[in-house]
Amino acid sequence: MRTLISLILGIVLLQVQVLAQTVSGKVTDAEGQALIGAAVIEKGTSNGVLTDLDGSYSIKVSNAQTSVLQFSYTGFKTQDKEVNGQSTLNIVLVEEAEAMNEVIVVGYGKSTKKEFTGASSNIKGRNLEKISTPRIDQALQGQISGVNISTNSGSPGGSSSIRIRGLSTFGDNDPLILVDGVIYDSEGLNSLNPSDIETINVLKDATAGIYGVRAANGVILITTKQGSKNSKPKFEVNMYQGVQQPAKQLALLNASEYAVIKNEMFANGNDPLPFQNTFLGEGTDWQNEVFTNAPVSNINFTASGGTQNMTYSVGGSYYSQDGIVGGSKANFERLNARMNFNVDMSDKLRLRSVFLYSNETRNVLPENGIGSVLYNTINAFPTEAVQDTNGNYSYLEEVSDIINPIAQMENTYNTAWVNKFVGKEEVEYDLRPNLTFTNRFSYNYALVDNKVFSPLVWYGPGKAQNTAKNADLEPTQVEIATGTLIDRGASVYEGRNTYSDLTFESFLNHEKTFANVHQLKTTVGISVFGRNGQGLGGTAYNIPGNSEEYADISANLAPGGFLNNTNSFQYRERLLSAFLRANYRFSGKWTTSAILRRDGSSKFGPNNRYGLFPTVSGSWVLSEEKFYHLNYIKFMKLRMSYGISGNDQIDNFAYRGLLNGEGVYVFDDVITNGVAIGRASNPDLKWETTRQFNLGLDMKMWAWFDITLNYFVKNTRDLLFQPDVSGVLGTGGPGSSAPIINAGDVQNSGVEMELVFTTPSDKDWKISTGLNATYLKNIVKKTPDGVDFLPGAAFGVGGNIATRFQEGFPIGYFIGYETDGIFQTQAEIDASETVQEGAKPGDLKFVDQNGDGKISFSDDSDLKMIGSPIPDFTFGLFLTANWKDFDLSANLFAAVGQEIIRNYERQQPFANQLSYVIDRWNFPGSSNEVPRVTTDLTRNNVFSDYFVEDGSFVRLRNIQIGYTFRKVKKLNSVRLYVAANNLFTITNYRGYDPDIGSVGGALGSGVDLGFYPQARTYMSGLIVKF
Amino acid sequence: MLTVLISATLMSGCEKFLDINPQYTQDAENFFESPEDYERALIGAYDLLQSSFLNVWIGEIASDNSIAGGESVTDTEGLHEIDNMSHDAVNQELRNIFRWNYAGITRANYILENKDNIDFEGKDAILAQARFLRAYYYFQLVKYFGDVPLVVDRRLGSAKVREIPRTPAADVYAQIEIDLRSAADVLDWASMEKGRITKGAALSLLGKVLLYQENFTDASTVLDRVIQEGPYQLFDSFPSLFFVENENSSESVFSVEYTGAEGGSYECLICLEGNAAPGFHGIRQYNGPVYGDGNSYNMPTQDLYDAFEEGDIRREATLLDIDAFIAGLPNPSGITYAKGAGGHTGYYNNKYIKRQGEIGLPDNDLTSPVNYRVIRYADVLLMAAEAFNRRSNPDDGKALTYLNDVRDRVDMVPLSASGSELTELIWKERRLELSGEGHRFFDLVRTRKAVEEIEGFQEEKHELFPIPQIEIDLAGGNWKQNNNY
Repeated sequence: MRTLISLILGIVLLQVQVLAQTVSGKVTDAEGQALIGAAVIEKGTSNGVLTDLDGSYSIKVSNAQTSVLQFSYTGFKTQDKEVNGQSTLNIVLVEEAEAMNEVIVVGYGKSTKKEFTGASSNIKGRNLEKISTPRIDQALQGQISGVNISTNSGSPGGSSSIRIRGLSTFGDNDPLILVDGVIYDSEGLNSLNPSDIETINVLKDATAGIYGVRAANGVILITTKQGSKNSKPKFEVNMYQGVQQPAKQLALLNASEYAVIKNEMFANGNDPLPFQNTFLGEGTDWQNEVFTNAPVSNINFTASGGTQNMTYSVGGSYYSQDGIVGGSKANFERLNARMNFNVDMSDKLRLRSVFLYSNETRNVLPENGIGSVLYNTINAFPTEAVQDTNGNYSYLEEVSDIINPIAQMENTYNTAWVNKFVGKEEVEYDLRPNLTFTNRFSYNYALVDNKVFSPLVWYGPGKAQNTAKNADLEPTQVEIATGTLIDRGASVYEGRNTYSDLTFESFLNHEKTFANVHQLKTTVGISVFGRNGQGLGGTAYNIPGNSEEYADISANLAPGGFLNNTNSFQYRERLLSAFLRANYRFSGKWTTSAILRRDGSSKFGPNNRYGLFPTVSGSWVLSEEKFYHLNYIKFMKLRMSYGISGNDQIDNFAYRGLLNGEGVYVFDDVITNGVAIGRASNPDLKWETTRQFNLGLDMKMWAWFDITLNYFVKNTRDLLFQPDVSGVLGTGGPGSSAPIINAGDVQNSGVEMELVFTTPSDKDWKISTGLNATYLKNIVKKTPDGVDFLPGAAFGVGGNIATRFQEGFPIGYFIGYETDGIFQTQAEIDASETVQEGAKPGDLKFVDQNGDGKISFSDDSDLKMIGSPIPDFTFGLFLTANWKDFDLSANLFAAVGQEIIRNYERQQPFANQLSYVIDRWNFPGSSNEVPRVTTDLTRNNVFSDYFVEDGSFVRLRNIQIGYTFRKVKKLNSVRLYVAANNLFTITNYRGYDPDIGSVGGALGSGVDLGFYPQARTYMSGLIVKF
Repeated sequence: MLTVLISATLMSGCEKFLDINPQYTQDAENFFESPEDYERALIGAYDLLQSSFLNVWIGEIASDNSIAGGESVTDTEGLHEIDNMSHDAVNQELRNIFRWNYAGITRANYILENKDNIDFEGKDAILAQARFLRAYYYFQLVKYFGDVPLVVDRRLGSAKVREIPRTPAADVYAQIEIDLRSAADVLDWASMEKGRITKGAALSLLGKVLLYQENFTDASTVLDRVIQEGPYQLFDSFPSLFFVENENSSESVFSVEYTGAEGGSYECLICLEGNAAPGFHGIRQYNGPVYGDGNSYNMPTQDLYDAFEEGDIRREATLLDIDAFIAGLPNPSGITYAKGAGGHTGYYNNKYIKRQGEIGLPDNDLTSPVNYRVIRYADVLLMAAEAFNRRSNPDDGKALTYLNDVRDRVDMVPLSASGSELTELIWKERRLELSGEGHRFFDLVRTRKAVEEIEGFQEEKHELFPIPQIEIDLAGGNWKQNNNY
């Protein structure tokens, strides 16, 4: 019996052994990198193994013919493969780039694209890295619909304006930026290395409301790179070197043209001609003198890996960039270090730790304003040499506020150093298998040092920038007591500011599925935030040797320290919050989500200290319904959200009336300080409130076409206004101002579209193309009672206000006179139905808007909207193509429908001009566009559409071609690439660069005062992985 | 549940966490606890005196004495409009006059509102100065705008301001007189510190205020008291009277003090500690000795030049004939200057002008240390002369004495006249003595001469400037605009 049984068993086993087989092989990614810890499962069984450190596996399958193996790895598409009698199966897994199951960070939790009910856009760090810029805001331009990024300055280390779904306030429009949950301000983005970023998720709609009073401008969630478990150390070195050059030079008058035009100008004003001889050749090309080719270089190192219980990723980088204006005087240099470290301390307890350090040095020159280097360059006279025969810099004497830009750059010493430490420690504990308790402590500490050395300089007679008394660089003298004069020599300013944030957050995440179809996810938590800032600064005079070598306060020789002065500041702010999010999902198709956040903020007075911010949202995956049968649309989801969020970005203690006005008078010849009320108080002050509605559609057509559409309406109410108040209240004194009140509404509405095409990747070719487009409409709905508008930026020197915040118009729209050509003859002026005081033939003809038969120059009645700095449409286009080991990528950005004010021309007789004045009116019929030139009294320089230009542009932001060598000696791969940034720009704008952000706040957008343009950069680089 | 409990506890328990105070600064509502607090608030009220540069501009540019000038006709356009008598209710310069003087009034009221908080020695003197300052600022406002809202010893809230009417000028004048008399009672003739208001300043301003109301009898009494009891004397050298070195001389009755020891920028003219007028009046792109370069504003007219008799040293001291001046220098061809496109007369204001050696810190077009002489003793003498001459029982003898005192200082022959002939002579002398100092327009209006002398001046309109329209709107829109604007 026993024998029989053994026999039967033996036969059965034998049979099994015949059918069974061991399959082994290697699992790699598309680049041939081993995937460690990938799951290999025999489908339909519980039989499975994980790949080892080489990506190898070995598994016994039950049937050598019919068994199917399933290969899966986080972030990659799961692949099924029939064994089909083979004993070796090498598998290449394809990354799940656009897959619906991709995990996205949504604030105090995670979601997937499939189930997320809000409007968000996700972008991978490696796409940003390809742009090769030092700041992520620059890299993000054109990558995401609904997010308009415009450059505030093209200088190295210059910032950009990030505007998520338009401008909703003339106050602070910056989104909340969180790096691994730690607050970053947008100015501080310089210290973040784009290479350290794994993904960025931008919350654009009301689902950002989980961040309550800080969410109204949208939220950007940045995740830094992490290692993965059970993986060998992976190293990557990425370096590039490049050269930057000016992308454009303005067409300015050369010396001969200048002399002819100026002679005509003076003749028309009945003044003596300045040039007897106009054959002066080319003269000085100041732009050639000022612009320079400048190097840029970057080296970046990362290492990552993990064991069973921990993962790590560390990185370091060095970046250095000189300026195309100023070279090393505009240098930006940065060192970064990053460490991400995750440990499973036990089965239930996990520690996540992030530490980011950066050290930056930035040198800056005066830019984008009267007196900036480029303003001086544009207006400097071509008839004057840079240096006279004795080697002294020329004075450009005839215009008192234009100085020699070369001398200016040489004498500017303005450096800032930033040391920044950012990090978090987060402990996650599984109270139950489906209940996680997270405690997170994060910090942000920045030390900002600044030094400005002002040597004794003489730029020429009457120049406001002179620090010396005369060309011999004698110091000016100051009377410190009656009859006692002391020298006021070279000075140095030093400032030392520290800023620190501490945040503690504690929250519970619970997830439970009932009866297989009801899934409930809940997050509940609190957040405590405190911020301190303090600074100490001082100026000391009489620096020895008039030399930067001794430019330190400690070296000053000012007698008795009389001239030296110091200042300091300090502030504190606090935020205390509780939040709740409940997500209910029914059978994977219907999802509804509710968010409630309560914030208490020290920025507001006791009357309005706490705010409640609710959001509701929902989604419906149509493609999972039984009745759904559109085969070519594989996935379809409808989304809707509505909610309220806040903007608390105002000064601290703005609700209180403080004695911080200026009350200073002179007694006994000595400045005597008193006090005065500063800003008047408003105990009822509260945050701005944004109510946002979003309707969205996500679709995947076939396997290769992803579509995301959003329509939104965003109403911002209770805008924090500091409107004019009656002068009788006494707020017109120095340092005094009107109270900040809540008044004014703004609406942004628009449509966003993101399209991604990806070809199947199995072949030699792989092409992926994406297009995003945004249509945005911005309109001011209300201004406070009694306030018609809020004035913005001025045109020219002491000129009219050119931009406004006014009901019925976009924020910061341009207001001025509309022109209708040029008066050709006196007869035309006489016959005109409109009286235009002082008009002469060759003058601009203004349009009588109110039809009263005259042009009013002293009030608003003939002014009109003549432009807006806000683009109607923005587009981004990216293309990546791989053919075998070659790769190509390109990134295009376009903004259409905005205008720019040409405000860099100094309206002074001797200032140089753009060469379009050659086509001026000089006899009847000669021009109907460019008015006559004259030193006579003229209204041609009042702000009109003559000074407004179309700012639309299309720019190839980046193009890159690379080739990857696989398995070079011990190296995994080596990629060589060449790239160019800003290769071409198509625009009608006459200035340097149409991609202009805002320097003077929201109402200063689109005003070009000699903007520091972005360079064109050619780079070559190398990426080594091992 | 746990977190909910924790958060509930935190939210209620941590009210204190959010209730933080700004550090190292005082709240406006808990002040005036020490004598020093009063003194510091008083300095804040003095600060607005430094807006006087606007007075020098408008008082001259609106008159027949000078044109606006400047870089172009759109450069500080409000002044060009005032120059042409085409100004209306939208005018930044007039709005500044309105706002800055009310800021001064508010700061003075802030002190007077809290006058009873504590008692200490010297409080009376502080309150007296505050009253003087309030009176001075109100006098500016009535001169420019006529009826203005009168706010006394209190500050208004934003709601209240929408209800407040324009107070008749006579009532404002009455308050000014009360304040000045009360200040004069307390203050001494001598001032412990340069720049402090004295009894003489208060009485002289009172005399001027009475003169503007044509209360000649009281004016003559008050002004005579200044002459008889006060410590003042005419300064010997008229040409150097306006130099920094001769500030606060025996002739100075009331000056606004400035210093060049603090820099400044165009961003905030009211924040300056220097005088913006001399730099603005300076010679455009000037490259030569004696003077500094400036912005060619407020340029005197040929009409003013011609008003002086040959040999009157005040002509050269008042008007700088730039071409003649350069021609008289050793190396004239090497000296250059530019004409502004805002207009050019060939003359510059030689009293308040940027001079070498009187230059402040950058931007030195704005930071002149030159004090503004609000009331000089010569003005007191001429006002007294006018008051004695025009009062119901005239004393033309005294009037002539005072008039000739002024003429004697500049070696002009004594005059002899009486009645309305003498009145005319006194008025003429005022122009010769005080031109370029911001008095002319208001003198012409006060003496009803404006329509004869100022081109474009319309009677029943231009005697007052319009209330800035935006100020009417911001105050609730209920005020009636001045006639014919």
